[in-house]
Formats: sequence, C-alpha cells, structure tokens
Amino acid sequence: MHGRIVLAVSAVVMCATAPILPAFTLTLLTEALIFGLFAMSLDLMVGYTRLYSFGHAAAYGLGAYSTALLLIHFGLPLPIGILAGVAVSVVIAVPIAWVCTRSTGVSFAMLTLAFAQLGYAMLYRFKEFTGGSDGIGGIPRPAGPFGLDFFQGKIGYFYVVVFCLTASFFLCTVLITSPFGAVLAGIRENETKMRALGYNTRAYKIAVVVVAYGLGSLAGALYTPFAGFVAPELFFWLVSGRVLIMVVVGGAGTLIGPIIGGVFFVMLEHQLSEVTELWPLVFGAIFIAFVMLAPEGIWGLLTRYVRAMLPAPRGEAGQEASSAAS
Amino acid sequence: MNVAGFLVAQSLNALSQAAILFFIACGLTLIFGIMRIINFAHGSLFMLGAYVGYSTVAWTGSFWPSLIIAPLVVGMIGGTFEKLLLARLYARRDSGAYLMVTFGLAIILAETIRLTWGPQPLSIPIPDRLRGIVLISNQPFPIYRLFLIGMGSAAAVLTWQFLERTRAGLLVRAVSQNAEMVHALGTDVNAVRTGVFALGCAMAALGGVLSAPLMTAFLGMGSNVIIDGFVIVIIGGMGSFLGSIIGSVLVGFVQVFGSYYFEDLALAMMYLLMLAILIVRPGGMLGKEE
Repeated sequence: MHGRIVLAVSAVVMCATAPILPAFTLTLLTEALIFGLFAMSLDLMVGYTRLYSFGHAAAYGLGAYSTALLLIHFGLPLPIGILAGVAVSVVIAVPIAWVCTRSTGVSFAMLTLAFAQLGYAMLYRFKEFTGGSDGIGGIPRPAGPFGLDFFQGKIGYFYVVVFCLTASFFLCTVLITSPFGAVLAGIRENETKMRALGYNTRAYKIAVVVVAYGLGSLAGALYTPFAGFVAPELFFWLVSGRVLIMVVVGGAGTLIGPIIGGVFFVMLEHQLSEVTELWPLVFGAIFIAFVMLAPEGIWGLLTRYVRAMLPAPRGEAGQEASSAAS
Repeated sequence: MNVAGFLVAQSLNALSQAAILFFIACGLTLIFGIMRIINFAHGSLFMLGAYVGYSTVAWTGSFWPSLIIAPLVVGMIGGTFEKLLLARLYARRDSGAYLMVTFGLAIILAETIRLTWGPQPLSIPIPDRLRGIVLISNQPFPIYRLFLIGMGSAAAVLTWQFLERTRAGLLVRAVSQNAEMVHALGTDVNAVRTGVFALGCAMAALGGVLSAPLMTAFLGMGSNVIIDGFVIVIIGGMGSFLGSIIGSVLVGFVQVFGSYYFEDLALAMMYLLMLAILIVRPGGMLGKEE
C-alpha cells in the first residue's frame, strides 16, 4: 500500500465531494488537514532523522503570527501573505536550528522546547504588537492577486488547504527519496558512522530542521485566515506534545501516517468531546497504548492488515507479509 | 528605602523560590542520571502532591501529616508506573518512547486530578506556627518562606549525604555510570531504577505540598513548574545533582529579580539564561555532552 496513492486518491475524492459536504463537516475537515500537514512536517525530524522535537509549536506559532501581522499591517493578498509568513518563519528558523543541533537526543528536545516557550514569552513582551494574552483577532482573507477571490469562501479555502497539503507531501516524498533523504536515514541509524564517512551531519540536520519548521509554519499560516484569530496558546508546549502524539500514533517515518494521525485525532477529539468529558483521559490512554503496543502506528497497522488480507503477491514484500500473517 | 534590606529580602524570596524548584529539579535529574529518561509527568506528580496534601489537611486537620502522606502516595504511584510501563521500554533504547509515555501519563494524571478534585483552586492554609512575619534588616519577611528555605536546604543536604554516604546511594551513582557492569556484578538494577523513580516522584510531591500554601493547588501548576524544572536541569547539566542545586538557585534569582527589574522580560529571562549557558556549554554547567 503506497502512501502517495492513498493521499492522491483522497485529495481527489475530497475536492470532488467538497461542494456537497455540509458546511460544518467541511470546516472540521479543513482544520483536520491543517493539523495533518503540521504533523507531517514534524515527521521529517522525528521519523526520518530521529530528532525528537518538543517545541514544534514554535513553527506553527511563528507561521500563524507572522501571517497574521502581514495580512493586517501590509494588506497583502492572501496567498502572498501566507507565503511571506512562511518565508519570515524560515528565516527565524535558521538560527533556531543552528543552536538546537548543537545538542542531540534529549537535550535537543529540551532546546526546541525552550525556543517555543521563548516565543510564548516574547508574545507577552511585545504586547502592543502581538496583543499579549488576547492574541490578534479579526484577521481578513483579502482577495487577489489578479482578482482571485475563490478562497474567500469555505470551499475555496478548503481547496487551498488540500493543495498545500498535497504539494508539501510530494515535496517531502521527493526530499526523502533523494540522496539528501538517504543521508538523513543514515543519521537516524548511526550518526557517528555518517560523520566517519565524511558527511557534515550537522549541516544536514540544520537543513532538515529548517524544512520541517518551514512546512510547520505553512500549517500555522493556513490556520490564521481559517480561524480568523491567533492566540499565544499556539506556542504553548501542550501543542508540541499533541502534534508529537499525532506523529507517533499515525506512524512515524511514513509521512502519510502522521497526516492520518492528525486528521484522526482532530475528528475523534471533536466527536468524543461532545459525548464525554473524559476525552483527554482517553487521549492519554490511547497514546500510551500506541507507544507500548504498536510503535508502528495506525499506518503501520493498516498496511500490515491490508497485506495480510491480500493474496500474497510475488516478491519480497509478499513473502514478508505472508510470514507475518501466518 | 533601605536598599540593603530590600536586596536581602528579595534574595531570601529568590532562595525560597529556589527551594520549591529544587524539589522538582532534583528528582528530574536523578531520574535522568540513572535511566536517561526525561520525565514529563513530573509536573503532574508535583501537582498531585499538592492535591493529596490538600485532602490530607482536610482529613486530619493538620498540615504536618501531609508532608509525609503526599510523598508516600505519589512515590508509590510513580514506582508502579515505572514497573508497569517504563520498565518494558528499557530494551527498546529509544529516548523518544520515554518522552511520549511520560507525556501520556502527564495528561492522564492532570485529567484524573480535575475529575477528582474539580476545577476550582484549593487553598491549604499556612500552619499556625509558620504564620506571620519576621523583620530582617527592618524588612518584613514571611516566616513560611524561611521555612521553605530550611526545607529545601535540608532536602539538598540529605540527598547529597544519601548519595555519598550510603550503600544505596553508592548503587545509584554506580548505575548512573555503568548500569550493565553493576548488573553483571549481581545487583538488581531494575529495583534501583524503580526506587530512584519513586524517590524522584516523592520529592516532586513534597515540593507540591510545600508550595500549595503559597500559591494554592490549581490545575495549571504542573505544566508551569515542569518547564522551570527542565530549564534548571538543562542549565545545571542533566544527571548532575550539584547542577540541579546551582540551577535552582540561578533560576530562582532570575525569576524573582527578573520580575522586579525587567518586568517586561520576566518570562523570557529564564530561557535567555538557558540559551546563553547552552551556547557556551552545550551539556549544561556541570553536565557531560552526550
């Protein structure tokens, strides 16, 4: 089962059915896909390079706030505003990546966390600019360029989100199947060996962190016009924890898995929180269960079952599956 | 205004803040030193300590038993968690798995507390004997904060003596240096790990009870304090006991003086201090770079 086929097919199906979906479902789905994109960006670090970030909220918050400020103060057209927000975030991400990659393992996780919390603190420091604890409200979805305005509506904006998600997914696929991706996998498995082979692993790590922050900030940038407001909570460490949960439960190191994880959790959270106030408790328990019992995540489980049910095809993959099933 | 007196009072304030922080940081660093685990649930355990302390005070009518019962209860919960879940992950050698399991536990504990004690903050009154103020160089200073400084210092000295002078402390230090060798020499390393984890959780709970009369027991207290704890442990060097003391005092001073002199930057000061230290020494002040 291939992630890219699944994603391409679901993107087409979603776009085709969007006009007939109830408005509420469409809104929920838009939010879920934004979170899917956010989780996928973290997967580049967690799944492919084994750089556990506990501060990925920084990427999301940076994208969201810079887009908000650009849209409000410069009156940029929406697509330009989003891209400019991402560009600003990428520029800020470079020094962050430079400092964080000085450490590895747990220290790396804590450094990323520190930057996210620093961002959180800065929002309060520059109140007049960021609105402090109130955040910024009333963010417009300005039309243009060239008189484009389809994204001002719900369905149009949904298409923008689907497009960004699909494009980012294929960008990541290209990245990880390239020689660059091979070096990342090498760093994940044995960094010392990669250094001995002559690779400047630090430079590769900085690059992957910047790309991950860039895509994470794209998710944040998409969130801003969607929600119409931004608040300091976007930077808070619980957001970082949540997205890490989505990556692991979805299936780290698969790209499609974290997208599924993000969508799955946003939907489930919404459904369950209407039924029971025990939702966070369930969330925590599901999460622990996945780490303990199914580290390969939802996507890993899915592929295993699908393979086991299909008649064994020829080749290695088929043999593996049949031996796993027996 | 009497400048010297003011400085003394603020310094004592900072030290009492450091004492609370030390209870969190010491457990975090001991647990990290021996198992290479960053325990995300530590803040929730601190909070649980405060709530169990509240119930103990409500039940017995006195503050003092809570100083024993809360750490005991929370220590047992922590030990059980380690035996049931964490112990199964040691073979996987994946530091991310611990981060995530303890994060899951943090969520579950916080929710359980909300469901058990309700969302409103609960206050524990300051015990009669520690109520009131004393004059220190003509500045009024709450006695309870002096008591906190005393408790923090006592805990630091006791833990230090435990690590340096007792056989169990020797084992703890040995396991943190080379667990496989200690295991090969016939010590039950898993028991040492469970013990240290429970001890760390108990210390966090004690910190929680002690802080409750000052700031009440409330639902966000865990997620506030855990970040301070991480910063301290990183500043001091992960796994370093002395580092956790130095880090607590530094952060205590930065928080108290920072919020007085640089009101705008108070929240950011702590992180800036941490970044400055890490840029100079990536492993923290007394830590080894991994």
